[in-house]
Amino acid sequence: MPAFDIAAFFKQFLYDPKNPLLFNNGFFVFFFGAFIFLYYGFRNNYAVRRYIFCFFSLYFFYKASGWFVGLVILSAIVDFFISNAIYKQQNKTRKKLLLIGSIVFNLGMLFYFKYTNFFISLSNDLFSTSFHPLNIILPIGISFYTFENLSYTIDVYRGQFVPAKKFSDYLLFLSFFPKLVMGPIVRAHDFVPQVNQPYVLSEKDFAKGFYLILSGLFKKLIISDYITLNFVNYIFDDPGRYTGMENLFAVYGYAAVIYCDFSGYSDIAIGIAKWLGFTIPTNFLSPYQSKSITEFWRRWHISLSSWLRDYLYIPLGGNKSASFITYFFAALFFVGVTLFGVHVWHIKMVSAVLLSAGILLLFILPAIITKQKNVLATNFNLLSTMLLGGFWHGASWNFIIWGALHGIALVVHKIWILLTGIRLKKINNTRWYNILAGIITFHFVCFCWVFFKAPDFESGMGMLFQITHRFTFSVWDGFFANYKAVLGMMLIALLIHLIPDDFADKFIARFTKLPLVAYMTAFFLFVLLYGYFKSAAPVLPIYLQF
Amino acid sequence: MNSNRRVLKFTLGSITVYLLVSLIATITGFKWAPLHKINLVADIFTSPAKEKVPGDSTAIIPPIADKTKHNNFSLYTRPNFITNFNADTTHPSMESFLRKLNALKTGKKRKIRIGYFGDSMIEADLLTQTLRKLLQKEFGGSGVGFVPITSQVSQWRETASDFYSDGWQDENFKTGSTGSLFFSGHLFRSNGDWVEMADKTITDSTALIEKSLLCGYLNQPVSISVNNTPLPVKATRSFNRIVLSKDQKRKIKVAVADERLPVYGISFESESGVIVDNFSFRGISGIELNKIDTSFLNAVNNDGTYYDLLVFQYGVNVLYHPNDVNFGWYKTLFLPVVQKIKKHFPNADILVISTADRAFSYDGEYQSAKGIDSLIKVQAGIAYQSGCNFYNLFATMGGKNSIVQWADAKPSLAKKDYVHPNDRGADVLGARFFDAIMKEYKKYLSTIK
Repeated sequence: MPAFDIAAFFKQFLYDPKNPLLFNNGFFVFFFGAFIFLYYGFRNNYAVRRYIFCFFSLYFFYKASGWFVGLVILSAIVDFFISNAIYKQQNKTRKKLLLIGSIVFNLGMLFYFKYTNFFISLSNDLFSTSFHPLNIILPIGISFYTFENLSYTIDVYRGQFVPAKKFSDYLLFLSFFPKLVMGPIVRAHDFVPQVNQPYVLSEKDFAKGFYLILSGLFKKLIISDYITLNFVNYIFDDPGRYTGMENLFAVYGYAAVIYCDFSGYSDIAIGIAKWLGFTIPTNFLSPYQSKSITEFWRRWHISLSSWLRDYLYIPLGGNKSASFITYFFAALFFVGVTLFGVHVWHIKMVSAVLLSAGILLLFILPAIITKQKNVLATNFNLLSTMLLGGFWHGASWNFIIWGALHGIALVVHKIWILLTGIRLKKINNTRWYNILAGIITFHFVCFCWVFFKAPDFESGMGMLFQITHRFTFSVWDGFFANYKAVLGMMLIALLIHLIPDDFADKFIARFTKLPLVAYMTAFFLFVLLYGYFKSAAPVLPIYLQF
Repeated sequence: MNSNRRVLKFTLGSITVYLLVSLIATITGFKWAPLHKINLVADIFTSPAKEKVPGDSTAIIPPIADKTKHNNFSLYTRPNFITNFNADTTHPSMESFLRKLNALKTGKKRKIRIGYFGDSMIEADLLTQTLRKLLQKEFGGSGVGFVPITSQVSQWRETASDFYSDGWQDENFKTGSTGSLFFSGHLFRSNGDWVEMADKTITDSTALIEKSLLCGYLNQPVSISVNNTPLPVKATRSFNRIVLSKDQKRKIKVAVADERLPVYGISFESESGVIVDNFSFRGISGIELNKIDTSFLNAVNNDGTYYDLLVFQYGVNVLYHPNDVNFGWYKTLFLPVVQKIKKHFPNADILVISTADRAFSYDGEYQSAKGIDSLIKVQAGIAYQSGCNFYNLFATMGGKNSIVQWADAKPSLAKKDYVHPNDRGADVLGARFFDAIMKEYKKYLSTIK
């Protein structure tokens, strides 16, 4: 008979770098059970409830990333005090200095952990310095809570929000465990007022929470993981070994993976929050339904795009004016494109300059068409926002390229609307026009994903080379036979997108007050399905083109 | 109505049921894979009988007895070691090859040509590019050696650039061929097509590089164009190495008008020194080499610049199914190939390299293929029985489960298919192989003192 291993039991409570805590760990089940038990028990004592919540959140963070939990606490302390100081300070200059202090602190921390090595290698490449890359591990969630800290102090500075009075209010906002690792990026003015409210949720909230948690788990743990491990990783790891067709499907596969992974996590976080009586706004709205790239950014990672709009795009000048930084980034970008063309893409200097000039023309064109000078500033602000937004995703050129492509596409879409908006009035609302626009948008987004996922520029270009130069349907039979299950999963991811946005609400409205047994049955069916896919024999890669 | 109580009830109820099911399954030893994977208490209970790790299947390995007292077959298990099974390990393996290397090192002008055969493991010049660089640095020589006309991976090969028109017809091991296939397993026919190649390995800008066209037989003179200048050539033998130019240029463009001429590729090589030809063919196990005509092999050997060392690295495509453990069939098929090559290349040393580690997922966890020890023993047996040398790449990589460690390392050394080392990993393998050669070379030097 198996024996209870007491040492292993206690070890479960410590951080294990090989097995960090996520929603799919067995440990999370117990964690959540204990938390709900205490949270419910002290639901009417707001102070105790808050401390319990903070403790569990910080403990979750410790189990997910070890002693980096200290950074969350440190940044909470610093920002809590700075924001209060900003609030109390009457002198405008001092207020501003305090804000700058907060920005330097938060961005400095993010910069150190996330971007140091990027700039070391940049310096080594550009100035032939020979700094050694530092052994820095990226703390989990730092990109997310840095932005949350910033939005908070900036809101206080702008006078849009009275800072949290109690430190634990603020700590909870920052460390709220459902969203700690992968967002959504929550705003203090949405969240903090909910901290000390009665724990109330309607039957509809319960059902919606359950739906979000379960569908999120399904997207993240089943669809995304299965496609990644059994197909996408193989191809992105070594595109040259596969035909263009396989590479193309890998890009579609990755589009499904990143959506299911990201939105799945957000849905779980929003669902758990709902069950705890908190409302967090929707983060993804079937983004691949978008009919333009502008629409895509209204449906994709909404909490990030709205953050970028409010705290980057608007301060840069938004759609009104240009700031020094606007032109600085624009200049940097065009110099960057030229250098990039010559040194990384290995095209001729003339071509690189022409490329830069071509892009510049695109940015000027809307201003010429509308005869409004500030449109140029708007476009540059948009570009800077997208470049930095891309860079936020990761410290590599590929993320900057990804951001740049999206920035350029937003401007191209603007030109398209300016040129065709009135002329195509009759057809641009027809079904066929929308379907065509949807397909084009989806493929452009997929094209950009190539750079988002590929480890470096060369391998991204290599993948595109396979798709454009080594494309053949001749291997379809073997491909289909080997990857049937993967293709099925991709189809499911696509079908999820065809579900109308309000389907879940309508569906839930019909089935209110199902007995708990029904929920539990659904949950266990999911758990078994998860077990089935976890134990399923992996699909082996096949090299169809010998 | 407030539903917060439902959250509590659902959570605690589900956990209770889940925990009970997990405990019952653990205590009763109930094994059902989907349930086992999600068992909540699996980590805190120790099973009395640890499952046997798959892979150790000594019983089914075909026994190969030592034939002479002076030989020791078990030497094949040693990592970082090239063996000819001589029990006296102070004596070097591949002695004739080492003698030629030493002649080169001590000033004699000559070419030493190595043909390195393999599958996708060495595709895009992986491993061989490192070996070539190190050997050329140590013993002299420059040039990338043989480059096939077209290749699935030409875009990815870092040591040569290769651009070509679309019309080249590729006959190969898999498609069958109307002529003689070369070591590369390919034969190309042109429909007025062109190819433009550049050697990207050469660091010495003053080095003179011979660019030769490797082609088969045609009964009449044929006109080709070299860098857009017509050049009449005679391909009168079964195998021809036609020097197209000898200068400091690293780039050449060749166009062939006559589709009857079987074309193999272009070779870039210095006049003297070590030349390493990479002959990779995806998905094969080496037995395909049997398709090359004997008369053609003779012609290659009599070319005047014959091969001095032929290396065969196969195996990952033999280990194709996770549960295969019996590879007697492979010996039956591959041994004659090695014997045939040995017979037709009397001046060459032959080295059989074992498979590298390959893992499959057993019960959700990646581990070395069950049959890997068995296959390596068979491969060593082939070397032993044909009187060739052997090098255990699996042991050199680190032995059991090394590919898993390589793939999971940061930065990774292998790809996530748990088969292929990536460029960093291949670099490690190339350097270790070079070190193993140097170990033999040092032994050789001490024997001639």
